[in-house]
Amino acid sequence: MVDRLHIKPFDVRRQPGFTAVAVLCFFMLYAPMVALVLYSFNDGMSIGTWEGFSWRWYQSAINNREIQQATIRSLQVASFATVVATLAATMAALATTRTRPYRGMTFAFALINQPLMVPEIVTAVALLIFFAIIKGATNYTGMGYLLAAHAAFCIPFAYLPIRARLEDMDLTLEQAAADLYATPWLAFRRVTLPRLLPGILAGAMLAFVISLDDVVITLFVAGPGQETLPLYVIGQLRRIVTPEMNAVSTLFLLVSAILVTIFFLLSRRK
Amino acid sequence: MFRKTLVSLAASLAFGYTVNAQAAGELNIYNWGNYTNPALIEKFEKEHDVTVTLSDYDSNDTMLAKVKAGGHGYDIVVPSDYMVSIMIDEGLLLETKPNEMANFSNMLPNFVDVYFDKGRNYSVPWQWGTTGVTVNTKTYAGDVDTWSVIFEPPEELKGKINVVPEMNDVINAALFYKGFPYCNSDKAQLKEVNDMLLSAKEHWLSMEYGNVERFANEDIHAGVNWNGASMRSRLQNDAIRYGYPKEGIGTWADNVVVLADAKNADNAKLFQNFIMAPENAALISDFAKYANGIAGSLEHLDPEFANAPEVVPPAHYETVFVPPCPQEVNELYTRIWTNLLK
Repeated sequence: MVDRLHIKPFDVRRQPGFTAVAVLCFFMLYAPMVALVLYSFNDGMSIGTWEGFSWRWYQSAINNREIQQATIRSLQVASFATVVATLAATMAALATTRTRPYRGMTFAFALINQPLMVPEIVTAVALLIFFAIIKGATNYTGMGYLLAAHAAFCIPFAYLPIRARLEDMDLTLEQAAADLYATPWLAFRRVTLPRLLPGILAGAMLAFVISLDDVVITLFVAGPGQETLPLYVIGQLRRIVTPEMNAVSTLFLLVSAILVTIFFLLSRRK
Repeated sequence: MFRKTLVSLAASLAFGYTVNAQAAGELNIYNWGNYTNPALIEKFEKEHDVTVTLSDYDSNDTMLAKVKAGGHGYDIVVPSDYMVSIMIDEGLLLETKPNEMANFSNMLPNFVDVYFDKGRNYSVPWQWGTTGVTVNTKTYAGDVDTWSVIFEPPEELKGKINVVPEMNDVINAALFYKGFPYCNSDKAQLKEVNDMLLSAKEHWLSMEYGNVERFANEDIHAGVNWNGASMRSRLQNDAIRYGYPKEGIGTWADNVVVLADAKNADNAKLFQNFIMAPENAALISDFAKYANGIAGSLEHLDPEFANAPEVVPPAHYETVFVPPCPQEVNELYTRIWTNLLK
């Protein structure tokens, strides 16, 4: 008989080439960003030649009126999209988990996650044409289109963590509450919701970051004066690129990192 | 300043959009990113009591897609030369008759009868430039006003040349050099162009964009290049020179046009007339550093820019806009290009 104790358990970290692959992956992920951040402190005009340390590009980015307006607009759109998407996603998650499986539930699941599966450019072109028809009929050209589009494509990103959380929570506590004469609403408010909160926060943060990042759909949907920060950055690229772009991108990276950290801390707190 | 910005950011987040002081009119301009001088917009707003909203695009195609879909809300866009003719053909532009406007007499004669808008019934030039050659004169002291430095390079430039990977720019340059007509479907002539490009490529170092630093740092010493990029290299390295090949050189221009479905067409026309005044056209160039096609505007600019050889062409320069070619010509060009990139 083979002595099982002397066979090394399988460990992926001991496979040949593991370290090389891991180092390569991390290098590809982080080296470009390190370069981007470093050159945001460049004193010169160039994003390729180092000419000493300076904060000048941060000052010029922060004082740039177009960047200020684009940032405010991005934050407004993302805040609105997050609130709407998270509310809708929470209700959708409850409706697809806190119930006996029903006919068409898988179909509903697929429908909710449509934005994850349809290529973004297809959604963008479809929205462009669809909104053009509505604009023609109503003469309304305000921010509503952009807000609606963002809220819609953020839903699945909010939905997935909330649903995952709900699937981990069995029904015993809700049943106990019902045994103790809690109304369904009271059981939801006092038992389900508090336990679900980390999932909701995680979903909201994800939705916020997704909305903040979006380029393709925003590019097609945004009307006059509705430029978000990513659109501003794209618009700059055809002309002279100065380290101001690096500074804006670094600040943007910082905001994203802070949000993800908050999300991580909140979702760890049980 | 930073705190003030934060406070205003927080305030506008809390109270919604910053409300502009009410002006008599509005104007929505949709232009290339980082291409519009804020001082120009402010001056126009003051003079005509109009609130201007500026939005950016990154390519002619993005702009065309949004305009064609309708319901976009823009009044003015700034398409490149060939895109102006496409938009006129598709009926997307308003015939504003810039040629009857008060400031029209300031337009340089060589920009009036352009193929994409003969006599200027729709468009007003915004900025223009050329695709020529950049040479480091320390390495090569000979004539820079010729495509031969690229296509039959002298010994000292071999292996030190960069060609921008733009199919039309490179093939047009080759056609100019050979003295063949552009939009050419003559197989024998194209065969010559193809062979010349292939043998020239052996002496090229690279075919890449983004060469301002590489010229300045003397990593490359000659190349097909744009005048604005060449000027930025020269400002870092005195040895850089921009050549206007006497065999012929392609010119591009972006133009201000008014959309057929513009809601503020009157203000848009005011803007077209406004930028044909030399002191206003000067503001355009002062920001984005290209020439603008309006006589007398250079006098309002920093002499270092106004007299730059990249901005003021030599006497032998002729304005030639190469129109978009028919499909069958494009297919032949693409085959040459594929051969070249192999």
